[in-house]
Amino acid sequence: MKKIIALIAVVALAALSCIPAFAAGINSAEQSVLNNMRTPSNMNGNAVYVPDSYINQAEANFNTIDMTQAQADEINGYINAGRSYLESTKRSSYGELSADEVKTFLGYARAAAGVLDLSAGAGSDLTKGVKIINKSGDVVIDESGNVVKATGAGDEAVPMTVIAVTGTLLAVSCAGVLLSKRKTAVK
Amino acid sequence: MKKKSEKKKRILRLIAIPVAFCLLLYLAVFAVGYPMFSDILSIGSVFLSDKQVDYSKEYENIFVPTGDSKDTVDASEVEFPGINKQFGDLKIKGRNVDAKLFFGDGDIALRNGVGVYAGSFVPGYGKTILVAGHNNTYFNGLKNVKKGDVVTIRTSWGNYKYKINKTAILKDTDKKAFDLSADEENLVLYTCYPFDTLGLTEKRFFVYADKISGPEIVGLYE
Repeated sequence: MKKIIALIAVVALAALSCIPAFAAGINSAEQSVLNNMRTPSNMNGNAVYVPDSYINQAEANFNTIDMTQAQADEINGYINAGRSYLESTKRSSYGELSADEVKTFLGYARAAAGVLDLSAGAGSDLTKGVKIINKSGDVVIDESGNVVKATGAGDEAVPMTVIAVTGTLLAVSCAGVLLSKRKTAVK
Repeated sequence: MKKKSEKKKRILRLIAIPVAFCLLLYLAVFAVGYPMFSDILSIGSVFLSDKQVDYSKEYENIFVPTGDSKDTVDASEVEFPGINKQFGDLKIKGRNVDAKLFFGDGDIALRNGVGVYAGSFVPGYGKTILVAGHNNTYFNGLKNVKKGDVVTIRTSWGNYKYKINKTAILKDTDKKAFDLSADEENLVLYTCYPFDTLGLTEKRFFVYADKISGPEIVGLYE
């Protein structure tokens, strides 16, 4: 009997291990962070929203992790502090922030990302985007470029590019030689 | 003696000026066109090396083709892809579009296939799916598409079909080209326009399609 029970237990465990388990879906802690991100900042009377693309990327990342309520509370604290700071600057948009103000605001973003062992970086102009990477260096959120990418030069364009650049270099070199010859002749 | 030194100077000038000019120009072109030069360096390494270039090692493939799709799939059964991971493929039958599908639309994705913008969503999510591809490689075939054509996307959690309802040529900065906050599943494919053009262009060829089949991901939110 014991053997049969042990066998059933082994089979049950093996079956359980076959069910794929991913950190999929948005739990209530993650949802609270997404909701907080959707709350606008009142910048000098203007309701300024975090762009949809940022919130969507955060949601995509939350689908791959399991955030705890404690982590969410800490992150929400930084988001609230960052929003209060933005409102205290008396600027009307992200684009009006000075380099120092961007630096201070990014401090809150970095602290929030740090709760999930992520690091955030950006240039001096917030409108040009933010990049967030994990400990392994993998990009988690990338808003450092345009939403619509440059899609006009793939690897098949390389031979043409090589020909074009080489041709330009040769033409300009020849022009330089001719110019120096002409100058010498004039002298 | 003076004549000899003058001749030496002239020869030196004839060599030095073009070389200096060439170097300066190269530096200027390099600074301006770095993205293109990375391709040149890459093809240079192909000529210099006897090893075959294997791009497949620069990304992780989590795509496992599945058979018939159900109407719904639970979120717990979906392995949501991270950036630069291949999670499916995209085809348009008879239009010469057949590419690996990546999450994220950076260099790695566009070198190896087409990529879903990470600020949009994967199929089945019920929202906007924005896919980029190069006009001279994987999305060159978009020039052949017609209204009514069907785009097929296969993922590990199900197979999806979208019917093309229109195409449009718009500027890359046009904010009305797509809606990332839409609550209805819609597929937007785009590539640079004109097709077969080299270098940067500000126009994009957009293809819009509505979902006609494929499992909806349920249980996403607690």
